[in-house]
Amino acid sequence: MEAKFTEAYPKAPDAAREAECGRVSDMLDLMIDGEASSEEQRFFNDHIEECVNCFENHQKQKLLKGLVSGHLKRVIVPQSLVRSIKARIQETL
Amino acid sequence: MSDQTGKQLSKEEKDARFEAELLPVLDPLYNFAYRLTLDEDDANDLVQETYLKAYRFFDYFEQGTNAKAWLFRILKNSFINEFRKKSKQPAKVDYSEVEGYYNTDDVEGEGGVATTTDMRTESVQDLIGDEVASALNALPVDFRTVIILCDLEGFTYEEMAKILDIPIGTVRSRLHRARNSLKEKLEKYAKSMGYNS
Ligand SMILES: [Zn+2]
Repeated sequence: MEAKFTEAYPKAPDAAREAECGRVSDMLDLMIDGEASSEEQRFFNDHIEECVNCFENHQKQKLLKGLVSGHLKRVIVPQSLVRSIKARIQETL
Repeated sequence: MSDQTGKQLSKEEKDARFEAELLPVLDPLYNFAYRLTLDEDDANDLVQETYLKAYRFFDYFEQGTNAKAWLFRILKNSFINEFRKKSKQPAKVDYSEVEGYYNTDDVEGEGGVATTTDMRTESVQDLIGDEVASALNALPVDFRTVIILCDLEGFTYEEMAKILDIPIGTVRSRLHRARNSLKEKLEKYAKSMGYNS
């Protein structure tokens, strides 16, 4: 595995890789919010395929978003509110 | 009055259009108001005020455009202008009062999540929801706002920028900081759930 990895990236020294990780880390929100361009998505996905650290960070960020979107309870609108809005609108000229 | 539409609508027509286009947003709007004020009565007042303002300015609302973003923007402005002043305390952070029956410390004291494994899935879902709500409610209102708009209501960065009257760059950085804070608050809980390796 290690050999294959080095072969695939013969010209990526540590500093360059770190810079890539930094860029990927800055893009986490864009990615989970669906705001990244297709070029950014390609760069991001290519990187996390090879970088465990960034892959895990992406998973965590997705999980965080999912906790809010999937678990936060919605409050029920009181029926009286609909009625009073309609009533007040009707009496407004 | 109806300069924008070109023709004068009767009150009945206007009311019907208003109800058809704007009332469907009531549920997300009320939820947003509740997450801002953390109080059902305040949320009620805020939403009502928002709809009355929207009605007054309805002639300036372009049919078929983003009614949801428009109403959210009005509500957010009302909240900043009036409600923040009214309730002097720096947001009502006392989420234990709001979220009620579930106490974090108890669960941790009794061996944490292990006790929940026998529970029905639904209860576990409730429990996670309560933790998320507690963590979210403990955030400063600006942070809470961007997370609600983005993660719960699914607004785009561009829509959020319009609702909040801030540049997209600010939306991004605020969202980033908000998520970091939320992460911090949820970390202990996440660890106990085995989410954080
Ligand atoms: Zn990386």
